[in-house]
Amino acid sequence: MTTVDTASKSVNVKSLLSKYAIVWVTILVFIFLSASTDAFLSIDNLRNILDQQSVVLIVAAFTTIALISGGFDVSLGAIYILAPLVALRVQNNINSAWLTLLAGILVGLITGLLNGVIVAYGKINSFIATLATSFIFFGIAYLVSDGTILRVTDINMRKVATTHILGLTSATWIAFLVIAIAWILLDRTRFGRYIFSVGGNFEAARLAGVRTNRVVVAAFVLAGAGAGLAGTLNSIRSVTAQASDDFSIIFSVIAAVVVGGTSIAGGSGAIWRSVVGVFFIAFIVNGFNLNGVDPVYQRIIQGAVILTAVGADAWSRRDKS
Amino acid sequence: MDLEVRGINKRFGATIALDSVNLKIASGTIHSLIGENGAGKSTLGKILSGVYQLDSGEVELAGQAVTIGSPRDALSRGITIIAQELSLVPSRTAADNVYLGIEDHAGPWVRRGVIKDRFEELTNTSGITVPNDRPVSALSIGDQQKVEILRALARNAEVIVMDEPTARLSVEETAVLKTVMRSLRDQGKTIIFVSHFLGDVLDVSDEITIMRDGKIIRTSKPSDETHDSLVEAMTGRKAGDAFPAKHPPASPTPVLEVSGLTRGIQFADISFTVGAGEIVALAGLVGSGRSEVARAIYGADPIDSGEVKLQGNTIKISHPATAISNGIAMIPESRKDQGLILDRPIRENIALPYLKKLSSVLMKRRQENSLVSENFQAAGIRALSSEMSVRSLSGGNQQKVLFARSLAGAPTLFIADEPTRGVDVGSKRAIYELMVDLASKGMAVLVISSELDEVVGLAHRVIVMQTGKIVAELVGDQISESAVVAAAFSTKQREGLAS
Repeated sequence: MTTVDTASKSVNVKSLLSKYAIVWVTILVFIFLSASTDAFLSIDNLRNILDQQSVVLIVAAFTTIALISGGFDVSLGAIYILAPLVALRVQNNINSAWLTLLAGILVGLITGLLNGVIVAYGKINSFIATLATSFIFFGIAYLVSDGTILRVTDINMRKVATTHILGLTSATWIAFLVIAIAWILLDRTRFGRYIFSVGGNFEAARLAGVRTNRVVVAAFVLAGAGAGLAGTLNSIRSVTAQASDDFSIIFSVIAAVVVGGTSIAGGSGAIWRSVVGVFFIAFIVNGFNLNGVDPVYQRIIQGAVILTAVGADAWSRRDKS
Repeated sequence: MDLEVRGINKRFGATIALDSVNLKIASGTIHSLIGENGAGKSTLGKILSGVYQLDSGEVELAGQAVTIGSPRDALSRGITIIAQELSLVPSRTAADNVYLGIEDHAGPWVRRGVIKDRFEELTNTSGITVPNDRPVSALSIGDQQKVEILRALARNAEVIVMDEPTARLSVEETAVLKTVMRSLRDQGKTIIFVSHFLGDVLDVSDEITIMRDGKIIRTSKPSDETHDSLVEAMTGRKAGDAFPAKHPPASPTPVLEVSGLTRGIQFADISFTVGAGEIVALAGLVGSGRSEVARAIYGADPIDSGEVKLQGNTIKISHPATAISNGIAMIPESRKDQGLILDRPIRENIALPYLKKLSSVLMKRRQENSLVSENFQAAGIRALSSEMSVRSLSGGNQQKVLFARSLAGAPTLFIADEPTRGVDVGSKRAIYELMVDLASKGMAVLVISSELDEVVGLAHRVIVMQTGKIVAELVGDQISESAVVAAAFSTKQREGLAS
């Protein structure tokens, strides 16, 4: 084929536009809200957004890795509920901040391991497998809590999530740390390569000598640990936990990851994409709240915005082929 | 219905795919379009069938200028395409697929009986038969293709574009397809045959159009052309010998010794050796167990019994990772399904099996880059940089990425399953040279190929398999296309099962 040199420059600009589309759109939203809504562009408000989104970011970071590996984990909502209940039982008996957090993470690791083993070795579709295990995890959550509200008995525990360091809450810093870990794992380590190869072409990865099943298990374990940590952090912050708590965070996480541009088909995506996706949605919700939009309409508009974002992405991809 | 195109231009971004193309295709003929990858032959086929729209130029059908805006539009004018990737609904039967979207119905209800009758009539008049008692996913690729052809006929197609229809067919399935093509032509249909397989093209065509770089080089009759004349016109270079000279080692030390290898119904009691510096071919019909044996040696599938020795040591290979660490490399049968991570860069695809050596806690990018660039060059990959995604490469270059990956492990045993499938003529020769070079450096090479000329042209020794067993071993002068075919078909013919 003959290549025409003059055309290549405009092609580059176009690909730069489409590759980072979600970044440009998020910046536009930010600028629009800064100009239109007085309270938006203030240190306190932005700090608040960061603090509120910390748990979403923690779950999103490892969910991104699981999705790239080709694993769709819908049980993260259940893990997010179960982990803090176990953790608060630990807190009630041994009043240690570290052990409490550790217990929450451990619950995530174990449930994630179960998910991973079922998906990798049982060869069950990950969506179905984790849908089933989420029922189990919710059931166990009721058993652990006896159907009651568990409380943090020592109010000082809250400091784990609410201590201010350099102007930001410790929850925010923990989220940053988790994002950094996920980013390094995915971008700089052998494991990250395996994640992309397994999600991109499972059989090809296996024939290239990748221990594919172990990689899948590891991805689910990480996703579980993230959800366990996030749930525990959230409950320590709010001082209570119960089995019937709101688990809709999983929807926000998946929406953010997908809006960011990570493919649910596996094989492509990035941590930074999910971070941008989280803030894209967070800015819009914050803008609604500051402008006093009825929460009922907020949800409808939010759904439409997500559809538009994902639809636009699908369109731009179709153009390429 | 005569088909004529005049001054057709088509561009994809910066790439000119078709450059002022003029072509006349007579009604009731088989007209082949050939050329290297990127020559524009598929693009032309897709424009005629409405998959792509032309940028400028004219299409004339039976003397009338027409605009073909979509595949549906093309179909309404009697033109349809059978794409390389078949587009059937796998879980439905042949008849369901043939009449998909044009079902006889009474209100919302499909009239199954009528469809069944029409299907039978269609198979009778066309002479194309396929089993209709099972989902098409249970049919062979050859039969699935027939379903696509029937689908085209059911929609009254007069012109059928076939894009690389034989690429995934076995030798015998190809023969059946050629018979179908000839009978369709005799019924007055026009067939545009886009293919890489010059033997088939010379055999079946009424006219051949050769393309290069988006232009038409010439249109001629097969009687005026030879394999070499076609290659020369396609590549613009003088065709040398198709294969490098053979230099079999005098008394090779065995690298691979397989004995009594058995796996379920796929193969039984397989024993053979491959020596250092030797090129051994596993030949046989598709389904004879060739690929399965190779996969088992490589640890891709488990074995029931048998022994694999590598350089004298018995090893148990339960995963490809074990094979790789023992110095075995394999290029799998389908590079897209089993070989490459298409959306990742060339670099990552080459380095994938060796990441343990190339990382501690983090990846050692410098070591990775040097391993990659070394083998990138050794395999002769033609790409601007190793950061390009593998998807953006031609078939030949994609295959070379797999060669580079294998070379990077400095293997002692190199297995290549269909190493030149879907690869253009220029790259084929390069791949042959690469394999001969590897053998001359002392590597044991095991090749599996459906293309007989390749088996005969490359192998020092040929092991012929049939229904899971070794039926013949040919050495030196015994190796010829007819000897391989005779062995591959031997028992089957005796039992009268050749069809």
